[in-house]
Amino acid sequence: MSATAFTKRADAALADPILKVAIERTASTAETKRGIAVKGFAHFEEARTRAAAIKDHVVEHLGFYLEQFEAAATAAGAQVHWARTADEACSIVIDICKAAGAKTVARSKSMMGEEIGLPHALAEAGIGRIETDLAEHIIQLADERPSHIVWPAMHKTSEQVSALFKQHHLEPHAEETIPAMAESARRHLRDGMLAADVGISGANFLVAESGAVCTVTNEGNAELSLVPPRIHIVTAGIEKLVPSMGHAVQLLRLLARSATGATLTQYTTFYTGPKRAADADGPDVMHIVLIDNGRSAMRAEGLAEMLRCIRCGACMNHCVVFRQIGGHAYGGTYPGPMGAVLTPALDGLAKNRDLPNACTLNGKCQEVCPVKIPLPTLLRGWRERSWREGLEPVSVRQGITAWAWVAQRPRLYRAAVRAAIFGMRRFGRGWIRTLPMAGGWTAHRDLPAPAAESFMARYAKGER
Amino acid sequence: MSARDDILATLGTAAPPSGAADALLADPVRPAVAGDLVATFFTALELPASGATHDRIADLADLPRAVAAYLDGHGLARAVYLPPDPRLTANGAADWSGFTLSPAIAPNEPTVLAVARLGIAETGSLVFETGPSAPMLPNFLGLHHIVVLPVAAVVAHLEDAALPGEQPRAHYWVTGVSGTTDIEGQYIRGAHGPRFLHVILVGED
Repeated sequence: MSATAFTKRADAALADPILKVAIERTASTAETKRGIAVKGFAHFEEARTRAAAIKDHVVEHLGFYLEQFEAAATAAGAQVHWARTADEACSIVIDICKAAGAKTVARSKSMMGEEIGLPHALAEAGIGRIETDLAEHIIQLADERPSHIVWPAMHKTSEQVSALFKQHHLEPHAEETIPAMAESARRHLRDGMLAADVGISGANFLVAESGAVCTVTNEGNAELSLVPPRIHIVTAGIEKLVPSMGHAVQLLRLLARSATGATLTQYTTFYTGPKRAADADGPDVMHIVLIDNGRSAMRAEGLAEMLRCIRCGACMNHCVVFRQIGGHAYGGTYPGPMGAVLTPALDGLAKNRDLPNACTLNGKCQEVCPVKIPLPTLLRGWRERSWREGLEPVSVRQGITAWAWVAQRPRLYRAAVRAAIFGMRRFGRGWIRTLPMAGGWTAHRDLPAPAAESFMARYAKGER
Repeated sequence: MSARDDILATLGTAAPPSGAADALLADPVRPAVAGDLVATFFTALELPASGATHDRIADLADLPRAVAAYLDGHGLARAVYLPPDPRLTANGAADWSGFTLSPAIAPNEPTVLAVARLGIAETGSLVFETGPSAPMLPNFLGLHHIVVLPVAAVVAHLEDAALPGEQPRAHYWVTGVSGTTDIEGQYIRGAHGPRFLHVILVGED
């Protein structure tokens, strides 16, 4: 099989010894902390069932809740915009910035912003961008994309972060410790953040009843980015709706525990409209851009369950494939199991047919998903669709067709198994170090040699 | 067709069956909060993840003394930012003589005082709303965040924080200090905002 863009990226990631160290340091901590948080919440399982039901209810009645949200947000003084595509969404944001004569924007980490390519659109428009989340700041300095939806700089070691800060910060850390590096970023980001013309955030939840936009952060960078500027722009996926704050609360309990193992994120804010006339601070104007970008099509095409996703990152932290290759190898905005389902929907299956195959189907992602998304089932759905649409390479199609033909003929199949056992055992007993046509396996690890006889052969001899 | 009409036409706008959304609020699945609310609140507040400290005073007249004790304990100057909240600043409310009071919030303000509307026992969260006497920015800028909370304002669950009727610009929950795990997953306090959170509970149970 010829190397695809994905397999090349995955090969490069596997060959990078530093990358694996960096991923393990953060992902293993996240896994441990989540485990403790889940044990501390006696009804976690029931809470997952309820959370899935809340999201299913919203996704089923999405149009109704969007209209309700729009009316409430407008009544609170916000301006609501609608975008079918990523390009439409970027144009709306850029037009608002240009009309306001904005020179710099402070951005609070938002995966929707990444999905629509907002950093690039701002650069093209000549608008300065201050990434205020520490990890986003790191990857902005490195000119890279996020490799994880909660820890975008997961792929960076502290040594690499230190080098970046020393290159870019005016007063970098003197001591080679992580607290000193965080302090350097605090010093470096503060003034720019407070002087920005526009603050841009995503939304963790949109509350239909009140028109509120909820963001969660642990750093407090959303609030620092969204209070001082005179304009606040929100870019939000239409699936972020919840009927009321009470529904949001039930999801928030799961989001924090699943992402970082905390009972709640440090800062949870509901923004409803711009500042009121007499308020002590806050922006004069609030814009909310509601973005479809493939979501209504996902609902129509059997991917409604994926719209439950609350972007906690637990599926990738627990994924054996993600932990080996990291987020960049997936190629899209969203990595890991949820990314392998989302990217083909957002960017087309033909270009991304490798992603649903980069999965062992061990089911761990579904087990930890706070909204019970059947990720392995959805991944299998993409595999089947890829087969139906003839996207698999000829060699794979022919190989599987030949195997199916043999497998349907038991005598022939058993004869083939005998021949294979005979052939393979000539290369080793116990473990095989090299085998023709299996170099992809044996290059990295030994292959277990087959037993002398197949199960069926021993069964036929009367062994029980 | 406009983007709005297009999206809504694809999705349909039929209302859900009446009561369906409310049914999903009934018997919320949440950690139990049993026993004394204030004790539970303090336990949650002082978990390592939140890492806050607390003090108790009988009434607001004692506040300057309690703030001074905190500042002395941390070797800080007697300088604080006070929001324009009449409960803190009205004549006769509290005597701040001996303190330097910042008239406006500075980018590197060391100590900021605020009054919370509620404390939530379930998570150790403090609930704030913006308003004419309640700016938001100071609570995210200062290194030391001292929060005044009336004892009667401690409630059990996050659901109890909802504010009925017209909403303020921002309604926010603070649970601990500004933290980050963005470099190698190591937890660092004081990423952008407060590194220290100190709650002063006012009144008797």
